Amino acid sequence: MGRYLLTQALSFVITLWAVLTLVFVAVRALPGDAATVLGGLDTSTAQVGALRRSLGLERSLARQYVAYWGELAQGNLGLSLRDQRPVTRILLERLPVTASLAGLAFVTSLMLGVGLGLMAGLRPGGTVDRFSLLLTTVGLALPEFWFGFLLILLFAVRLRWFPVVGLPTQGAVLNDLWALVLPAFTLALPRAAQIARLTRARVLDELHADYVRTARGKGAMVAGVARHVAANALPGILPLLALELGGLLTGTIVVEQVFGLPGLGLAILDAIGARDYPVVQGITILAVTIYVSVNWLADLTQLLADPRLRVA
Amino acid sequence: MSRLGAGSVLAVLVVASVALAPLLTPYDPIAPNYRNLYALPSLAHPLGTDGLGRDVLARSLAGGRVSLGVAISATLLASLLGASLGTVATGIGGAADTVLARLFDAVLAFPGFLLVLLVVTILGGGALQTVLAMGVAGAPLYFRLARAYTRAELTTDYALAGTALGATRRRLLWRHALPNFVGSLWVQAASTAASFLLIEASLSYLGLGVPLPTPSWGNVLQDARSYLTQQPWAAVGPGLFLAAASLAFQFLSDGLRDRLDRRA
Repeated sequence: MGRYLLTQALSFVITLWAVLTLVFVAVRALPGDAATVLGGLDTSTAQVGALRRSLGLERSLARQYVAYWGELAQGNLGLSLRDQRPVTRILLERLPVTASLAGLAFVTSLMLGVGLGLMAGLRPGGTVDRFSLLLTTVGLALPEFWFGFLLILLFAVRLRWFPVVGLPTQGAVLNDLWALVLPAFTLALPRAAQIARLTRARVLDELHADYVRTARGKGAMVAGVARHVAANALPGILPLLALELGGLLTGTIVVEQVFGLPGLGLAILDAIGARDYPVVQGITILAVTIYVSVNWLADLTQLLADPRLRVA
Repeated sequence: MSRLGAGSVLAVLVVASVALAPLLTPYDPIAPNYRNLYALPSLAHPLGTDGLGRDVLARSLAGGRVSLGVAISATLLASLLGASLGTVATGIGGAADTVLARLFDAVLAFPGFLLVLLVVTILGGGALQTVLAMGVAGAPLYFRLARAYTRAELTTDYALAGTALGATRRRLLWRHALPNFVGSLWVQAASTAASFLLIEASLSYLGLGVPLPTPSWGNVLQDARSYLTQQPWAAVGPGLFLAAASLAFQFLSDGLRDRLDRRA
């Protein structure tokens, strides 16, 4: 067990290193040199040269790579090219919107997905199963942003229950949460569909197990069987949950655009449009670090929840 | 009807209507007609007209050509690239295999949509660039699958018998192992095509994939977003086509899995 944890920790560090190196390469491959973008068309070559030096762009790639890790280690993500503000401050401003949206979406998809999946799996062919099949099929096929359109048309334009775009007031937390309902549900539907599908499959696998037959033979009611089945089936969906949760931080990009929510997704789109590469890099670093960490934690949790996997 | 049947019928319907677009609608999908803005659905315009007076059905069908083309090409690129590299890597073995596997693992450890977004930004927008970006982002999955399947096949008794009879490793890989797992790859490819349709639509919706004026389902919907309240039909039409196409591929994948996958 101890040795296994050590290997796991090592593989986490290696993956994170590889992914952050990929970010370094990708950001430096983005078109247009930051300095020429920043300077505009009518800056002289001398000015551009000075700018490049101040941004450290004239150094060799190897030196830039060393500097990149040095600054990462200090938690320094550089300055935004547009307004010279620290990227970390921009991240901290934008994170709450994205985090609450992602959190709300995750909880919704978890309850909907696991609930439907369990009920559908325990009574295959029943009413809930058929309803869940319809919902998961539709949920997986609909383009996320288009489903958002439909929700806006119905609940914001027609029924006027929700604001059409954006957050209504800065600071009024309850109003803001209300405005997050439609985008969160938009995000939750396809994720709930995937969770429900996998949960149902896991439950069906378990229903054929000998212990279920024994429990039934001893006269256990559906609820009693369900408790055991759930305990054995649910650890199997942890990796999927981690993928969903980790992916939500960047998965919100399109939905933030559709609903005009000023989170990390809108920030990275703005930054790509303005070629503000330190901001693109900062958001990407934050997103991939969280993604890799969440997935790694899920593997560990699964290991703790399901002793059978510890053999490896 | 079985899922395979439903998927095939839906796929044929979508592909045929997109391919036969000029026969189905006489309107130009790009040229504006300012005398007929925001028309409601009628016999002449089954899905109405958009904010520039263009027929929504014509735009949906024209957009489908690009979107389907991009999604299918990207699926082919991802599966061919990933699966052939995976098979070759297992065949060679040793350091090359390990290095390739680690490299693809690093790509897989990246959140998928963000990766495609960055690669498309690096390459610049366009249909070909979108195909390349999705192909690169999708390849690692096929590499992993092909590697796992090939390894499993090479440990079977028939592979041992083949080796005893003097078959080369290359012959075992390409003539015996590959045909045995290629069905599972088809299952995965249909599901990849379904998600690539949605990813391309998202990218083009954000203005990073296929650029206007060339219509694709994503950028037609981006256009429709700007006058969503005046003309909902402009958003409903292409969205329904996109959903039908993605549903068709998803059904094909599920149906093929039941039919072909040996694990099922």
